[in-house]
Amino acid sequence: MENREVLLKVENLCQYFRMGRHVNKAVDNVSFEIYRGEVFGLVGESGCGKTTTGRSIIKLYDITSGDVYFKGRRICAGIQSYKNAISLARKDAREKIQNLNNDSKLNPENKSANDEKIKEIKSQLNEIVKNNKTLIDLCKVDQKYCDKLYAKDLVKELEEEYKNKPKDAEYYKSLKIAKKARLVTQIQMIFQDPIASLNPRMTVQEIIAEGLIIKGITDKKYIQEKVYEILELVGLVKEHATRYPHEFSGGQKQRIGIARAIIMQPDMIIADEPVSALDVSIQAQVINLLNELREKLGLTILFIAHDLSVVKYFSDRIGVMYYGKLVELASSDELFAHPIHPYTRSLLSAIPLPDPVYEKKRVRMVYNPIAEHDYRYDKPTFREIRPNHFVYCNDVEEAKYKEQF
Amino acid sequence: MADNILEVKKLKISFRTNNGTVKAIRDISFDLKRGETLAIVGESGSGKSVTSKAILGISAGNAIIDSGEILYDGKDLLKLSEEEMQKIRGDKISMIFQDPLSSLNPIVKIGPQIIEALILKNKVSRKVARKEFNQKLEVLKQNMNASFGEEQKEKISKLIKDYNNFSIKSLELENNYNHSHATTLEVISKLENYLFLVSKEQKVNLNEDIKSFIGKLKDVTNGYLINKYIDEYSLIKNDLNNLLVEYKQDKTKEHQVVLKSVDVLTNLKSLLTRMISDEKPDFFSLGFYLYLNPDADFSANYDASTKEMLTEYLNKNFLDEFLVYVEKAIINSNKKSVELKKQVLDELKQLKAYFKAGNLVKSEALANVSKVGDLVTQSIDQLEVIKDSLAYTFKSSMIANTKSYFFSQKSNVKEQVRFEKQTAKYDELIAKGKKVDWKVVPMKIVDLDDLIENIVSKIERLEANYLSKIEDKDIDFAKKASLDLIEYFKAKASEVVYKVTKPMAKEQAIKLMEEVGISEPRLRYKQYPFEFSGGMRQRIVIAIALASNPDILICDEPTTALDVTIQSQILELINKLKKERNLSVIFITHDLGVVANMADRIAVMYAGKIVEYGLSEEVFYSPAHPYTWALLSSMPDLETTEKLDAIPGTPPNMIYPPVGDAFAARNKYAMKIDFEAQPPLFKITDTHYAATWLLHPDAPKVEMPKIIKDRIERMKQGGDSQDGK
Repeated sequence: MENREVLLKVENLCQYFRMGRHVNKAVDNVSFEIYRGEVFGLVGESGCGKTTTGRSIIKLYDITSGDVYFKGRRICAGIQSYKNAISLARKDAREKIQNLNNDSKLNPENKSANDEKIKEIKSQLNEIVKNNKTLIDLCKVDQKYCDKLYAKDLVKELEEEYKNKPKDAEYYKSLKIAKKARLVTQIQMIFQDPIASLNPRMTVQEIIAEGLIIKGITDKKYIQEKVYEILELVGLVKEHATRYPHEFSGGQKQRIGIARAIIMQPDMIIADEPVSALDVSIQAQVINLLNELREKLGLTILFIAHDLSVVKYFSDRIGVMYYGKLVELASSDELFAHPIHPYTRSLLSAIPLPDPVYEKKRVRMVYNPIAEHDYRYDKPTFREIRPNHFVYCNDVEEAKYKEQF
Repeated sequence: MADNILEVKKLKISFRTNNGTVKAIRDISFDLKRGETLAIVGESGSGKSVTSKAILGISAGNAIIDSGEILYDGKDLLKLSEEEMQKIRGDKISMIFQDPLSSLNPIVKIGPQIIEALILKNKVSRKVARKEFNQKLEVLKQNMNASFGEEQKEKISKLIKDYNNFSIKSLELENNYNHSHATTLEVISKLENYLFLVSKEQKVNLNEDIKSFIGKLKDVTNGYLINKYIDEYSLIKNDLNNLLVEYKQDKTKEHQVVLKSVDVLTNLKSLLTRMISDEKPDFFSLGFYLYLNPDADFSANYDASTKEMLTEYLNKNFLDEFLVYVEKAIINSNKKSVELKKQVLDELKQLKAYFKAGNLVKSEALANVSKVGDLVTQSIDQLEVIKDSLAYTFKSSMIANTKSYFFSQKSNVKEQVRFEKQTAKYDELIAKGKKVDWKVVPMKIVDLDDLIENIVSKIERLEANYLSKIEDKDIDFAKKASLDLIEYFKAKASEVVYKVTKPMAKEQAIKLMEEVGISEPRLRYKQYPFEFSGGMRQRIVIAIALASNPDILICDEPTTALDVTIQSQILELINKLKKERNLSVIFITHDLGVVANMADRIAVMYAGKIVEYGLSEEVFYSPAHPYTWALLSSMPDLETTEKLDAIPGTPPNMIYPPVGDAFAARNKYAMKIDFEAQPPLFKITDTHYAATWLLHPDAPKVEMPKIIKDRIERMKQGGDSQDGK
């Protein structure tokens, strides 16, 4: 597993929302990696920040702090942590200087030595502030211009290629595409509600082709062929292209949503509860379709859902979220065989199964974080309890969990 | 055996649309037993929700009910007027909808929304109960007169009058008692609030609060609550007054007085709790005694021995004699109705033959039907406590059906003419090479044979019902029935006196909110719906649905919009409430995993028909219909690794429903006959039926798909080891 290519890397992602004076920590210090070609499931109850994580990755929100790397490039960067570092350093320095000043007032003989120290502290502080400010500037550049930087690099590559060749029509065509290339469009999203995510005033063709047009492709014939191809790929037919979204059933609408995402030839898809709003039989159709596409196109999928049996069936690795924090991360078989965190266990105990005898015996475990954990003195962190099985816990709990296995 | 609380018979519903009529429900029948959960499972568009909406009488405007009946408590819900339906909807039958937000009023606080149902229902049910009480008593009197003859007439009318009068006396007593009881409860909850505030060192309004306690306690004048503890009570009252005096003398000492008041009020609380936990007096016997001896007073020393004495007094002086008369009346009424039923059976046979013969004439048919209908109505035993829905609705539904038969006879011809004309015009325009921007509206022909069959089957059902009733009953059935009747009168009487006031309703609402698992109901009571999360909102909707204490609860996908943990909480809640209140639940969902937890019986619907029904174990462990297989195999469980068996294609267009099995086109196992004829319901066990040709003796043996087979194997083995996790 170690030598697989990391496609997406999320580091200390924080997404806070300000609601008046109160700050809502929707996602708090979440880190994970997604390898190329795998399906990464994110589960948790509603309001725990799964969707916010997905949306932050695709830059629908400006993240508060942390970094997101896609194909080795930083696409999102938050500045709050550096700001905090600066203010912390300032506060620290101010206190130290005040202490030294007081000392000089009481003992005038120390004054010269103290002044020296104060100077040193001030220079240290300046150093820290400067470093952090450069980091902040870098973040701002990455956050704002990552796409343009990517396009610039592409253009550079293209020019390198044509250095010794004459510049023909092909060159100008690819130059135009390269100039408009966007890194973030290689991550596409499928939304939960197929009805709300399709514009009712556009035909299916317009909806699906919109991305291509924005990308800078003007060849109408090419676009049409591409749309037909994609429609066939997701199990619809050519005739559907001229219809409007309201003429389709729920499952078909979701297929249009998927078509719109994959026409951009993305490397990664963020599927935000794509089957929650659908019937059982259509659910199966959509999951099978996603599975097929994954094999055909080599997609990597971040699969956000709350239906654990679907996630188990579909994902290679699963992360469990609870109130903005990632509490457990493991491969799906491992997670279901050995759930460690009490929240995961309570979540697993709530899955309904089509088995009346088992159902009547099933006891739902209640997760009460106040009773379960004592985090007053020892703050928890993300630790590896079993190989490739990470849990959010502190020292005492780590020992306890390790003892269990 | 539990009795059927709701019966749906041969229901057919279609919707009129621009493209023709959509046949949403095609001939379904099921029954709901008291206290059980029936789950209806199927894809969207299979007609699950249409069924439930028809039961509640909230079908869409373009719905046509082609035939069938929904029987509940001696009424056919499909034939009721809107006013009558309103008394049932929300009161006897409640519904929980899929989306909790859209079923709550966004600009009204939670509390008033829960109370509304309570107060509205109470008004109606009191009136209805009074009416039913009087009616039954009148019938009883007539029957007594008939069985004892002229010379006893005076005696009987005196008995009935006595019964009526002392019932009213008991009612008054009970009413007062109930009112005081409720007030006491209110005071207790206020006391709790006060003590809570003091314990948290919050500010309390000492002077006014204590005054309000004293004022409220004046309302608790009912002797049967307070007289036993009158000494203790007056001591506490003195203490309270002293506190007030102390406070007024020196207002700076408020804090100390508040601390003192805690002890006194705790005492008061414990006293009040003891008061209301005392057994409720038997007002029935008490009322009788007080009716004869108006000056007697038991309020200070009412206990078990007094109760015994009063009951004996009642039995000796009135009830024993009365019961003899009641028994005679019941036997008389039963005998009469059995005789009439025997006559009716002959008539029914003739009527059946008449309808089967065909060549009906409208006036003759209607006259026949109304004649027999009248006879059936007469033959009903009016003194039976449990209403026989079939007989009660026979006349009205038969007349409606016959009328619709003759109406369709005419309209079919008209429709044919119209269709031919339009088609001719359309063809002409096309032949001329013009562009036509309109379509020929498809022909809507009602199947007359079907209607006749419907009528005949109704007669047959009534026949079977009557035949079973004519059989000789036990010797002491009259004794049982008379006791039942007295209980019925008592229940009705207590319904009459049960008056809900606003503060009472508030207390009840808060209790309900606690029951459905909303924490801090007193705070939540004053919040708006948007302040709640999805799960909490659904709980409030459940509280509203339960407020009027319904018999039947219809849950239309109540957990589809919620996530896993909340979903299982809500399901547990519904299960718990069902057990506590002996509710009958119709649970509609497309998620079979949810159903396994809830249902006693399952009906699988597809394209407007029930394709399989049986006990939940039977449907899950030995499913028989290919559609059930498909549903089961299209959902992954925790062990699934292979490709899911999605059901290919979409449900059929119900404007032109398929001739044969509706599922045939999507069915891997379809045979030739599946496309030609509809399969009947084949019986697998006594409780398990499935409509598929695969069960026909001549059909080839087909195994269910491997994925389900494996799963069932696994379930059977792992049933013990899987629990907990």
